[in-house]
Amino acid sequence: MRRLLVLAAAASLVAVACGGGTASPSPAETEGPGPSASPGETASTGWDPTAISGPAILSGWRSSPEEGEALTQALLGFPAQYPNIQVDYRPIAGDYRTVMITKISSGEVPDLFYVNAEYAQEWIDQGFLAPLDDYIAKSGFDTGQFFDGYASIFRGKDGKTYGFPKDGNTIAMAYNSTIVTSPPKTMDELVSAATALVGQSGLAAPICLNPGLDRGLAFLYAQGGSLVSDDGATEQISTDASRAAVQWYLDLFKNGIGKTAADLGSGWCGEALGKGQVAIAFEGGWVDPYMASTFPDIKYGWAEMPTGSSGSPVTISYTVSYSIGADSVNKDQAFVLLTYLAGKDGMEKWTAGGVALPSRRDVPIPAGKEVLAKGSDYARPGSGFMPGYVDVQKAFQDAFTAQIQGKTYDAGPVVDATRAAIDKALSQ
Amino acid sequence: MAAPTARARSSIRLERRSEAIAAYALIAVPMILFLVLNIGSIFYALFISLWKWNVRSGPVDFKGLENYGTLLGDPIFLRAIQNSVYYTLVWVPLTMVIGLSLAVIVNQKIRGRTFFRAAFYFPAIASSAAITILWIFIVSPDGLFNTVRGAMGLNPLFELFGFGPNKNWIGDQDTALNSVIILNAWTTSGTFMLFYLASLQSIGNQVYEAAAIDGATAWQTFRHVTLPLLRPGHYFVATVAVIGALQLFDQAAIAGGIAGDPNNALMTMVLYLYNAAFSRFDFGYAAAVGIALFVVIFGATLVQRRLFGQAPSW
Repeated sequence: MRRLLVLAAAASLVAVACGGGTASPSPAETEGPGPSASPGETASTGWDPTAISGPAILSGWRSSPEEGEALTQALLGFPAQYPNIQVDYRPIAGDYRTVMITKISSGEVPDLFYVNAEYAQEWIDQGFLAPLDDYIAKSGFDTGQFFDGYASIFRGKDGKTYGFPKDGNTIAMAYNSTIVTSPPKTMDELVSAATALVGQSGLAAPICLNPGLDRGLAFLYAQGGSLVSDDGATEQISTDASRAAVQWYLDLFKNGIGKTAADLGSGWCGEALGKGQVAIAFEGGWVDPYMASTFPDIKYGWAEMPTGSSGSPVTISYTVSYSIGADSVNKDQAFVLLTYLAGKDGMEKWTAGGVALPSRRDVPIPAGKEVLAKGSDYARPGSGFMPGYVDVQKAFQDAFTAQIQGKTYDAGPVVDATRAAIDKALSQ
Repeated sequence: MAAPTARARSSIRLERRSEAIAAYALIAVPMILFLVLNIGSIFYALFISLWKWNVRSGPVDFKGLENYGTLLGDPIFLRAIQNSVYYTLVWVPLTMVIGLSLAVIVNQKIRGRTFFRAAFYFPAIASSAAITILWIFIVSPDGLFNTVRGAMGLNPLFELFGFGPNKNWIGDQDTALNSVIILNAWTTSGTFMLFYLASLQSIGNQVYEAAAIDGATAWQTFRHVTLPLLRPGHYFVATVAVIGALQLFDQAAIAGGIAGDPNNALMTMVLYLYNAAFSRFDFGYAAAVGIALFVVIFGATLVQRRLFGQAPSW
């Protein structure tokens, strides 16, 4: 038995030694500046991205043909700057998260890949992602241009950075401009305008609302509520302000002002807006390509989230990072590609067509995205800002759905269920 | 007749031994695959379930039976068991009855028998994902079902049960699971029809002739001749159905998403396992769910053996 264990250990060492032979040295492993600095070299650290050569496997999902085209355009500019790195783009079809977990499990991780903010904290905590701080210090990459609402999600509890936001999106109010001629600016105006539309011919409901925190969190914040304290240490959903905010959101359903997309017979609120079932929906920039291709005749506009009792403009944002895997083989090449795609030039090419908003301040705002981009300045993360957020979301949505479908519209059980989930998440 | 000589006996033994070696060699490959991939996986899952398990680096902390304790205290897991058991108790008998009825019909010498056999079986060969999406459209608030019942003037009847004219059948926590049961009864009854058809055709004509001579009516013949003789068929169909029912995943995931919406109405044991592994990345816990599911299915199969007797030898 002992001989078997020794043999297995020896075999493992041989495998590790052979496997390591193809890996690029990480910054920690590389020595200081070489004998001659090339044009792209950072003089003080010896980091010269133009001198790095080899392949870099890039993976992510592709939500639409427009996204595929935008990424192709962005990648076309890469070889001109870094001719020695060969990008091998391998999009993942189907359930991205599940496929990636199998790749992480088997150690066959792409060099650079998407990480949704929704599960970024879990992936950081479980050690799936490589910290980028050494690379940032070595390369001098300016991370100050990223909006903090996007970038903060990809920082771990250890304060290290595990990815750069590849883009962003904020939630705003999309309204049918034929029906709503003057978009409401406050929540009170929203309720008044929607109440006037109840029963209007052709409308199944004035507003399409989401029964979960996906959109409900923006309303919770706008009405002065919150889930956790600013330092993330304690729950805040059971405060009077949060309870009142949840009740206010429930009352939109109770008073017939809002309906869920499912109850309208639509897959999501953008579809309900396009079908003319509702006059108002709270969505992000992904509505634009969908409406252009599916409902080109519907006239709609964008307005910022109405201001609630909190008194200040509030919205939530969603983002995805480019991250390098802890087991990625070509980390140097991946970081060069990362700084290009999440840098000014790459992001400008990626967002120019309007598939998403830039997550950097120095990238021009695509035409027609001004309202949504305005929210980037003050948006709070819509996911990934606390551990175990998936369970918190589920607890809120399950309890909220039970209140709507049971026609009881009581915030109490929703708050209690959410509080229990938050407490459990914070204690782990 | 003369007894075989010692030499002849030795030759027979050698021949039998070489036949046995050939037989073992032939089954060795599938048996090894079965032992490693099926039985081995069960023991590996059992091992993982005792640990806090990191997907990338393997075992982190030994937790003993803690994952199992957490499991039994989780209301969503208990809801998943409740849903799976309800689904099994309703869907299995319903689909068996429909499958048997269809089999009896297409076993008659009726015109267009081949067409009906193909037509009844057709939903079973359609893609599960495609047919579930089709079903979602049919039972959506402005879908075919609500439109047809409205056109037929049946809405007052539905109102008596509290179902409004634009009822969201699959999005409502009270009707979602029953909607999936009806969907799967429709799509799977064709397969069960085939199983029953094979069993029906194995029953000899002489027993029906004897029943006819005794003056048995059609119902008496079915009740006292056909049904008892179908016992091996019942055992097979019920076993396959219960295992399939307890493993419900794809239709529930497509109809309600992986969160089992609305409000866990479509949360099944396998969906719960999937969530533990791929939403929470807690593989130790997910393995514990898998072992629990194994125990439930194994127990259910043993109960069926008690109900239907020993497994028949086909």
